[in-house]
Amino acid sequence: MLISPALLFVTAFALFPLGFGVYISLTNWPLVGAYHFIGLANYDALIHNTEFIQSIVFTLEYTGIVTVPIFVVGYALAVFVRSNRRGSTLFRTMIFLPYIVGLVAESYMAVVELQPQSGTANFVLSNLGIVGDTTAWLVHTGLALTAISVLVVWFAAGLTMMLLMAGMQGIPQEIYESARVDGASWWSIEWRLTVPLLRKSIALSLIISVIGSFLAFNQFFIMTDGGPGTSTVPVVMSIFQTAFAQLNVGLASAMSVVLVIVVGLITFVQFRYLQGDSES
Amino acid sequence: MTQGVSARQGTFERKSESPIREKARGGRGTAPPVRKAGGSGGLAGRILYWTGGTVISAIFVLPLVWETIRSFQPELVVTQAPSSKTFANLSLSNYQALLSGQDDIIRNVVNSLIVAVAAALLTALVATLAGYGFALFRFRGSGAVFGLVLVAFMIPFQAVLTPLFIEMHKLHLLNSLLGLALFYTTFNLPVGVYVMRNSFLQVPRELVDAARVDGASVMTTLVSVFRPLIMPGIATTALYAFLFSWTEFVGALSFLTNDSLFTLPVALSNVETGTYGAVNYGLLLAGAVIAMVPCIVVYVGLQRYYVRGLVSGALKG
Repeated sequence: MLISPALLFVTAFALFPLGFGVYISLTNWPLVGAYHFIGLANYDALIHNTEFIQSIVFTLEYTGIVTVPIFVVGYALAVFVRSNRRGSTLFRTMIFLPYIVGLVAESYMAVVELQPQSGTANFVLSNLGIVGDTTAWLVHTGLALTAISVLVVWFAAGLTMMLLMAGMQGIPQEIYESARVDGASWWSIEWRLTVPLLRKSIALSLIISVIGSFLAFNQFFIMTDGGPGTSTVPVVMSIFQTAFAQLNVGLASAMSVVLVIVVGLITFVQFRYLQGDSES
Repeated sequence: MTQGVSARQGTFERKSESPIREKARGGRGTAPPVRKAGGSGGLAGRILYWTGGTVISAIFVLPLVWETIRSFQPELVVTQAPSSKTFANLSLSNYQALLSGQDDIIRNVVNSLIVAVAAALLTALVATLAGYGFALFRFRGSGAVFGLVLVAFMIPFQAVLTPLFIEMHKLHLLNSLLGLALFYTTFNLPVGVYVMRNSFLQVPRELVDAARVDGASVMTTLVSVFRPLIMPGIATTALYAFLFSWTEFVGALSFLTNDSLFTLPVALSNVETGTYGAVNYGLLLAGAVIAMVPCIVVYVGLQRYYVRGLVSGALKG
């Protein structure tokens, strides 16, 4: 059957691990030797695990910080590149480039450029009189979060731009004609026509960006390694450390289950929202 | 329940079809202009448009260009206070050090290539077959199977790393480039199956029926009739999977513990940590540039396909 290879992959590397993860989360899974069921003890431990709670709070904080700027910048860029004027394809390509290159390579570059004294960031910003040239960005929680947020907005705005632009280009021209004839201003056309018609694309781009922020790992692992202390540990890193550094597989699986539920809820809301939209 | 999901998916995707297909067909110039940005005609308007566009593009591209130049600066220049005297002191020293001697990353580049190419080919193959099946054949429970596949696709791979680690250990797929490629293939299938199903749905029905009347087998039809029509879809899928796999980090970090098997992004974390406590930032920059270049080359060459896959994949959710 044509579909069986796909089904095999999905079952072996997605569905089975998910079920297996739920199973492990109910045990005290050791590296070697026998395990036994401990019921919901891992989940109970989770509620009292300050590091995990802290990582959730931090992830929410980070998501809250970057979501709106990514969307606003992405929307403005989409407005700029959505026409098919000469050059717009070129601009799209260039604006999208940071997303293509990926956050991993860019995080490594950022590490070099955020060094005090030698980094380009301090060189530029100190010459503009904004910060001193000895500012150590990655060893202060607030500064590190600021730097990472700026990097991520720069990285992700192009994706939001592409998604919104595709939506904007799908809006039939005729809808705008009568509004223009009525002499409506650019702002009111944008606000009263484009934004409502774009609801689906807007929801989509927001959800993709929110889920992306929820699952953030690379930039924090590379740029701060969760530091200073554990102040910049996002949820995925917390799971990673619990599983592979503390070797507490049961607890890490319980954390994963919580993450799947949260991401599943976001996706569910997305489906509901999009469905409501296509019926109207 | 699953039927419901797939039915919803159906209406949703038909609606979202037009912008994607328009983009895919001509790339540029086919969609009607929503609005002429920055005042339509006029010299002033045009100057404003090009100036604005250049400045905006520079914000996104210049940092990457800047890092590329910086990667040619010797280590000493990279770690000193920036100075106009030493800035143009360019050399190949970082690259020479990275591509030979003790910090050799050639092996890691090759590992990354093997994994990314294998994942791209596998994803294209498996997604083409599945897309073919879902698009052209109605079988008992096909809606339920598609629904199941969709539900599976919503599982973020970051959340199953722990159980997957144990499973792959049992299957002897840890510390294996093949294992990593299988993992990447799985999580590229959502986009792949979706794109390929759409590709097949766009093939004119008469063509399918004509082939059937001629008595061609299912596989012969796929290879001889459909192949030219679905090549853009295959390119999208393969490209998407390649870029995903080339840049993926946390999975490779979890499933590879043997230095000699590290992919490039993971190997660079060793460079970042440094040897004997001293971090060579020149090497790190050069390594990051080596990781960046294939993405740019592949994307600029095939961006038409990539954007198509990305938008339709994203619309899938």
